[in-house]
Amino acid sequence: MKSVMWAQLMKDKRNPLFILLFIAASIVATILFAGGIQTPTMVAVFSEEENAPEIEEKWHELLNVDSSFQFEIVTPEKAREDVMNGVIDVAVNVTETDYQIVIASELPTVSFVQQHVEKVFQREAQFRALEEAKGDKNVRSKMNSYLKNAPIQIEAKGLDGEGLPNFNLGTQLLFAFVFLVAMFMLGLKVNNVTNDKVSGVWNRMILSPIRKTGMYSGYILYTFLITMFQVIVVLILFKYVMNYEVGDNLGLILLIASFFVFSMISIAMLITGFVKTPEQFYSIYPSVIPLIPLVSGAYMMPGTISNPVLMFIADLFPMSHAMDAIMSVVFYDAGLRDVMMSLLLMLLIGVIAMGLGINLIERRNQ
Amino acid sequence: MLETIKLSKSFKGKKAVQDVNLYLDSGESVGLLGPNGAGKSTTISMISSLIKPTAGEIKLNGVNIINNPEQIRRILGVVPQELALYEALSAYENLKFFGSIYKIRGNELDKSIQRALEIVGLQDRQKDLVKTFSGGMKRRVNIAAALLHHPKILILDEPTVGIDPQSRNHILETVRMLNKNEGTTVMYTSHYMEEVEQLCDRLYIMDHGEIIASGTKGELLSILSTEDTIKVQLSKMDDRFVTQVKSIEGVRKVEAANTNLKIIAKKGINLVSELVYLSEQHHIQLINFHTENPSLEDVFLHLTGRTLRD
Ligand SMILES: Nc1ncnc2c1ncn2[C@@H]1O[C@H](COP(=O)(O)OP(=O)(O)O)[C@@H](O)[C@H]1O
Ligand SMILES: [Mg+2]
Repeated sequence: MKSVMWAQLMKDKRNPLFILLFIAASIVATILFAGGIQTPTMVAVFSEEENAPEIEEKWHELLNVDSSFQFEIVTPEKAREDVMNGVIDVAVNVTETDYQIVIASELPTVSFVQQHVEKVFQREAQFRALEEAKGDKNVRSKMNSYLKNAPIQIEAKGLDGEGLPNFNLGTQLLFAFVFLVAMFMLGLKVNNVTNDKVSGVWNRMILSPIRKTGMYSGYILYTFLITMFQVIVVLILFKYVMNYEVGDNLGLILLIASFFVFSMISIAMLITGFVKTPEQFYSIYPSVIPLIPLVSGAYMMPGTISNPVLMFIADLFPMSHAMDAIMSVVFYDAGLRDVMMSLLLMLLIGVIAMGLGINLIERRNQ
Repeated sequence: MLETIKLSKSFKGKKAVQDVNLYLDSGESVGLLGPNGAGKSTTISMISSLIKPTAGEIKLNGVNIINNPEQIRRILGVVPQELALYEALSAYENLKFFGSIYKIRGNELDKSIQRALEIVGLQDRQKDLVKTFSGGMKRRVNIAAALLHHPKILILDEPTVGIDPQSRNHILETVRMLNKNEGTTVMYTSHYMEEVEQLCDRLYIMDHGEIIASGTKGELLSILSTEDTIKVQLSKMDDRFVTQVKSIEGVRKVEAANTNLKIIAKKGINLVSELVYLSEQHHIQLINFHTENPSLEDVFLHLTGRTLRD
């Protein structure tokens, strides 16, 4: 096992640029798509009703609960002008009970803003309906005080927009990209098994006294360590150098990440079991991987994906479990016990995929 | 020491190797000659325990080793047909890796590496990356990697494919030295007749998965003792002429290439007058005409009707 790891390490030492490139990719993707987490997306709020200041003030307060977006009251003219000139991506024209989004082009931020605004307005509509039905003006405060003492805190906070002041889509995207890049990296490393089988190095190992378990664990452990190294470097850079929000409990986050990395290595091994050449792996793996965060909803506000088929598919991959666990640690201060279920699911996926994968690889040999 | 009995292998019902019987005595140098696709690599893979035979036995000192390959693996060095190396690593690092998987450690490992490098003549280039090497040098590292654990039997699968004549001679010399001076038993496969002819005491000729002839060079050539090989150069080629040459009594095979004919005919028949007569009829001149000593190439042609490089 040590020999295998040594050889892999020597190869990577010759090519350190490769790992640096992956680290850079995580950071660049996050900056590009998460739009700089410390500067939340600016959204203009305005109203053209008669009692505009009052309406603006009310929605301004309700909308500004999420550190991903900074809602600011401006005049209708300025809002439209800024959107037209690309100073801001989105403006929201609010009325007493409804809203209208003002945009110039379909930027990725638009749908995030829209999702957020829609949620706030829907929730307010529900409160209004309750108040009307019960004739009770205090529904809101009762609801809030109930939620504060609710038996399941995480869910309670999820129900109440005001209970998640910390939620930050940027942070979610950051982890989504870190994991995405990690998946590519570990895939390339796992593909070394196929590379070595095709080149004949694998056969040399078979003929030597080194054990099969030693061979497999050499590749797997090396892939695991190098991918974790990349993840750790990226997260430390984000947290301490770039001061991005990645949560306070870095230890637990790395534990979750390590389960994720192991689990994905197993899935890469499973794919390796189906391919004959490294090229086949390259044609399958990179087309599957980007779909995983998509179906897992890692790029969208939590709860956006509700299609049961998609949700089922997402659950087969470790990413949705890892994202769930990380988000609850970062935003809801979840502890090890709270994320245990996610960890076990990832472990289960990992063990099954690894077993099937190695079995298929061994069968190919005959 | 090592023998195979009715060794066969099918891939998805297609026969790659069929009923191969061969043996290797200690200290021998044995060649396995055959065109591409003959089944040489498959045979070697079975002997070295990399793939399981569909049928047949492999015996090491009389003991069937198909289900417990550890014994043969310990004494076997295999130089695969492909370059089984890490191109991104130096020659030394490659050998360090391949030595360490044989559990050779520390000082002993370094000594083994230097010895292997010396044998293949690459000691002064050991720090260089394999990807900067020429084809011939890569082939030499490929051989060195199989020598680290001092194998008693060395199996080489087409170790000279695609390299320059100088490197080729170097490799042949290396193998000869290992066999003659170090007493290593050698099994050498090739589709180059000259190599096997030069290097091996004994050889097997393989085609379409079967051994079609075996023996020392002399024994194999005696197959042709009843035949002459005649080479003719013509002023131009004419298919009808060739057809008529083929139908001359006593002519067994005719090979045409450009304006040259290679004719294998029963010993002692008088071809000259027949050829002169036919060439006049077709207005062809005979530019050159001579009888050749038969080579192993001719043995192959005789046995299969094809040349080795078809
Ligand atoms: N793994 C395999 N799967 C299917 N067919 C194979 C496999 N390996 C070899 N063959 C077939 O077996 C025959 C013999 O191949 P091989 O032993 O490589 O010949 P040689 O080494 O003499 O060129 C060929 O027809 C080849 O296509
Ligand atoms: Mg071959």
